[in-house]
Amino acid sequence: MIGYICKYAPVEIFEAMGVEMHRIEPEVSNFNQADMRMHPNVCSFAKGVLEEVLAGDYEGVILTTCCDSIRRLYDVLKAQLPDRFIYMLDTPRITKDAGICLYESRIRKMIGEYEEFSGRHLDEEKFFALLKARKAEQEKRENAQGKEGSGLSVGIAGARANQNIRRILEERGVKVAFDLTCTGLDRKLLVEEDQVITGYVRGLLSQFPCMRMEEAAGRDQLIAEYADSADGIIYHTVQFCDNYAYEYAWLKGMLKRPMLLLETDYTRQSYGQILTRIEAFLESLGKGRKKGKISTGGKETMYVMGIDSGSTSTNAVIMDTNREIKAFAVVRTGAKSGQSAEKVLEMVLEQAKLKREDLARIVSTGYGRVSIPFADENVTEISCHGKGAHYFNPRVRTILDIGGQDSKAIHLNEKGEVTDFVMNDKCAAGTGRFLEMIARSLEIGIDELGPAALKSTEEIEITSMCSVFAESEVISLIAQNKEKTDIANGVCRSIANKSYSLMKRVGLEPEYMMTGGVAKNPGVVRAVEEKIGGRLYICPEPEIVGAAGAAIYALEGME
Amino acid sequence: MFLVDKYINYVNQEVKKEPEKGWNWMVRGFQANKLKTRLLPNSGISKGYQKLESMMMSLVADSLGHEGSYVWGNIFAPEEIFQCFDRRTLSIECLSCYFSGYHLEDYFIDCAQNAGLAPTLCSYHKTFVGAVESGALKAPSYAVTTSLSCDGNLNTFRYLEKKIGAPFTFLDVPYDCDPESVDYLAKQLREMTGQLEKVFGRPFDEERLRRIIAIENETRRELLRFYELEKEHEYPGEIISQLYLMMGTHLLMGTEEFRDLVKFMVEDIQTYPRFTGKRILWVHLLPFYQETLRAYFNGSRKYQVIASDIVLDYAEELDESDPFRALAVKTIRNIYNGSYAGKAEALGAFAQAMEADAVIHFCHWGCKQASGGSILLKEKMKELGIPMLILDGDGIDRRNSHDGQIKTRLEAFLEILDEEDGNAVGAAVSAKKEEA
Repeated sequence: MIGYICKYAPVEIFEAMGVEMHRIEPEVSNFNQADMRMHPNVCSFAKGVLEEVLAGDYEGVILTTCCDSIRRLYDVLKAQLPDRFIYMLDTPRITKDAGICLYESRIRKMIGEYEEFSGRHLDEEKFFALLKARKAEQEKRENAQGKEGSGLSVGIAGARANQNIRRILEERGVKVAFDLTCTGLDRKLLVEEDQVITGYVRGLLSQFPCMRMEEAAGRDQLIAEYADSADGIIYHTVQFCDNYAYEYAWLKGMLKRPMLLLETDYTRQSYGQILTRIEAFLESLGKGRKKGKISTGGKETMYVMGIDSGSTSTNAVIMDTNREIKAFAVVRTGAKSGQSAEKVLEMVLEQAKLKREDLARIVSTGYGRVSIPFADENVTEISCHGKGAHYFNPRVRTILDIGGQDSKAIHLNEKGEVTDFVMNDKCAAGTGRFLEMIARSLEIGIDELGPAALKSTEEIEITSMCSVFAESEVISLIAQNKEKTDIANGVCRSIANKSYSLMKRVGLEPEYMMTGGVAKNPGVVRAVEEKIGGRLYICPEPEIVGAAGAAIYALEGME
Repeated sequence: MFLVDKYINYVNQEVKKEPEKGWNWMVRGFQANKLKTRLLPNSGISKGYQKLESMMMSLVADSLGHEGSYVWGNIFAPEEIFQCFDRRTLSIECLSCYFSGYHLEDYFIDCAQNAGLAPTLCSYHKTFVGAVESGALKAPSYAVTTSLSCDGNLNTFRYLEKKIGAPFTFLDVPYDCDPESVDYLAKQLREMTGQLEKVFGRPFDEERLRRIIAIENETRRELLRFYELEKEHEYPGEIISQLYLMMGTHLLMGTEEFRDLVKFMVEDIQTYPRFTGKRILWVHLLPFYQETLRAYFNGSRKYQVIASDIVLDYAEELDESDPFRALAVKTIRNIYNGSYAGKAEALGAFAQAMEADAVIHFCHWGCKQASGGSILLKEKMKELGIPMLILDGDGIDRRNSHDGQIKTRLEAFLEILDEEDGNAVGAAVSAKKEEA
C-alpha cells in the first residue's frame, strides 16, 4: 500500500500497476513524533501524516511540493524511513502548457524510479482501460445523484477536511450543497486515447485549483457562484496552515451568504469544538427545531428551565410563560458535570419552590450540554448567549462572553438573531482560567484582582500572547518588585486586547454587552471599555445570561 | 535620543489616527534617519557595517520618497531584471522591519489578523498586509514574487492585488534542479521582461543585464574574500548588520555601490586585530530587536555572528553569457530551495569552511519551512561535531519572543561553548536539550 495526500498525485498510475493507494486522513491523539522530529508550529495535517506513516505499514508515500510543511514532512520521512518509497513529486504551480509538459516529465521519471524500486511495470494500455472504467463509474455516479431536498443546505470550502464536518451536517439532516475542498472534490479524469499520459496530466492540473496554484486567483468567483446554491458556507482551515485564511479574509467581504470559519487540527479531541461551532452556525441559519411536550404538572402557570453547564460554573434559570425569571442558581462545576447539574437543579427548584414535574421543558447549553440527562433539548451556548443578551437588553449588537475556558464574541441583529460569532477555545489566554492562574501567582483571591487593578498607578505591558509565557512574564515582574495592582491591571489590559480583536472580527457594532463570570471583574471591564471606546452593558447576574437564553428557547419550543 | 523617541511616538500615533498623513511622516522619518546614519554613524561597530546601514537606509528612504522608483518584491525576486528598468526592488520582508522602527508591527499585525489572516502566519507577511489594511501603505506600480522560499509569497501578493490592485508577476520556482527546470524558470523570466517593457514603457536591454551579472559575480567573489578574512580578524557588528548584508545581497546585488562597499569591507577588516572569541554561524532570520541577543552579540568582541545563511544563499558564479538561465540556476540552486538534506549538507560545509565554533538556528514564528527542518540540521551538525542551539521566537513581533526563555537557553549554550570544545560540547548541548 502506498499513501498519498494530494489531489494532484497521479493515483491512477500506481493503481494501474496493481498498487493499493490510500489517501492518508490522519486522526491522531497526539503529535509526539512530530514535536520531536519536526517542530510544534508545523501544520497539524502534516504532523498528523507523520504520526500516521511512522505508525503504519506503508510501502511508500507520494508527496507533492504542495506547501512548506509538506516539503519538510518529506525531509523527515525520507530520513526516518530510508528503505521505503518516499517520493517528492514536484508539482508545477503554473497549469499552462509549460507546466503540463514539466509535470508529465516529472511523473514519467517517478514511474521509472518506482518500477526500479518495486519491480512492477506500468502498462499504458492497462492504464488507459482503468481510466476509461473510472470515468464511466464517475458519470454513472453523477447521474444517480438525487435532486435537492427542501431542507437547509450548507456548502464547504477551504482547506482539506476530514469526514467529520460532512458527517455532522448529514447527521443533522443538512444537505451538503457543495464541497470544494481538496478532499471533497471528485477527481477530474481526462481520457485521451492518442496521448494517454499527457491527457491524464492535463486533467490533473485542470482540477479546481488549490491555493498554491497560480490559477487560484479565480477561485473567489467560482466559490461565489457556488455559494448562491447554499444557505450558508463553512470555510475550513487547518491549524498552522495559513494559506486558506487569506481566502477567508477576502471572501468575508465578498460573499453575501453567512460564512463560518472553522479551524481543525486533525486530532480526535477537536471533534467537540467542531461540533459546537457547526451546531451554533446551523442554529443561526434557522434550522427548524422540534416542538416539545407540555407538562404543567397540574399548575396553572407553566415553567421552563434553562441550564448552562460551563467549565467553571453550572447555572440554571427558571422562567414562566411571561418570560419572568422565577429563580436562578449558580454552582461551581465539579469534576463531573452531571453531578453539578443535579445539584443546581435541586437548588433552583428549592428557590422557586417548585418540583421537578412543574417544569414543562428543559433546555441545556454549554460545554456539558449533552451530558445532562434530564434536558429535553440542547442548544449551543452561542445561540443561548445571543438569546439571553437580547432578553436583558434588546439594543445589544455585540456580545463579549468570557468564560472559564473560552472566550467568544457574538454579533446580533435587531431581532436578536446571531449573525456572526468567533470563538477562542484553543488556549487559555484571555479566559477566566488565565485570571485564576495570575491571581494565584500574585497571591490574591480571584475576586480581589479586579478591584486591585483599578488602583493601578503605573502602566505595565504584558506582551506575551500565550498564557504560559504571560504567567512567567508576570512572575518576572513580581521578581522586579512591581506593584501587584499594576501587574493586575496589565493582565486585565492584556485580556482586553484579546477581547477587542475577537469583537472586531464580528464587526464591533454598538451597543456592547459583556457576559460570563469575568464580567464581574471591574478591572477587565474597565480595560475592555477603554479599548473599544464605549460602555459595556452588564446585567446584574452576568453568569446566567446563557441559562436565561436556554430558558427562552424552552419557551419558544412549546409555542 | 529623547527627540528621536518623541518623533517615533508621534508617527506611531499619527498612523493609527490618520494613516495617509502618518505614512508621509514615516517616510520623512526614514529620510531624516538616512542623514543621521551618515552624519552620526553607530559608533560601536566597524566602519563597513556603518556604511552598510546608511546604504540600506538610503535605499528605503530614497525609494519610498519617489513614487514610481520601486517595485514590491520578495527577498528572492530577480531584482537584477528590475535594475535594467531603473527600478529598485523593495522586499516586503525588509519593509516590514523598517515599519517596526516606529513600533507599528503589533498594530499592523493586529490589523491583518482582524481582517481574517491566520495568527500563525509569518509576522513579516502579517505586518506588511496589515500596513495595507490600515490604510497607511499604498500600491506601487508593479510587484514581483517567487514561490521560493515560502507559501506566504504567492498568497500575500495575490491578496494585495485583489485588495488594492497591485499587479504582479509570479515566478514558479521548481523544486528539482535539472535542465528542464532551468528552462521552465528561464522562460518565465524572459516573459516577465516582455511584460515589464509594457508596464514601464521602455525596451529591455539584455546587454545591461549581462553587465549587472558581471558586477554581481565580482561582488560575490569579494564577499567570499571577506568571509575568508573574518577567520583572522574581528569585525564588530550588530545582529542587524547581518540583515543589512542580506538586503545588500538580495536587493542591491549587481550595483556598483554595493560592490564597492563589499570591497571596502575587505580592505577595512584587515586593519582590525585578530579575533579570539567564539564564532557563530547564524541560520535563518535574526530578531534584531531582541534584548538578550543584542546584549550578547552587538559590538561584542567575545561572540561574533560571522555569517548567516540568509546572506549567502547561493555562492556560485553566474554565467553572464546566458543571463536568464543564469538567474534561473541561481534561484533554483538557492539553498532555501529543494530538499532539506541538501540544505543541511550545504550549511554543514559552510560552517566548516567558516571554522564556526557553533551554529544558532532561529525558528521564526510562522516559518514552517525553516522550523520544520531545524531538527534535521541539528542532527547534521551533531554529526560534524559542531554545537547547535535552536531558539524559538519571532523575527519582528516582540509578543512572540519570550526574553526569559531565550536568555536561559542562550546563556546555557554560551557557558558550554566557553567551557569545552569539539565533540564533547555537542554531546553536552544535546544532553541539556533532552533534560529540558
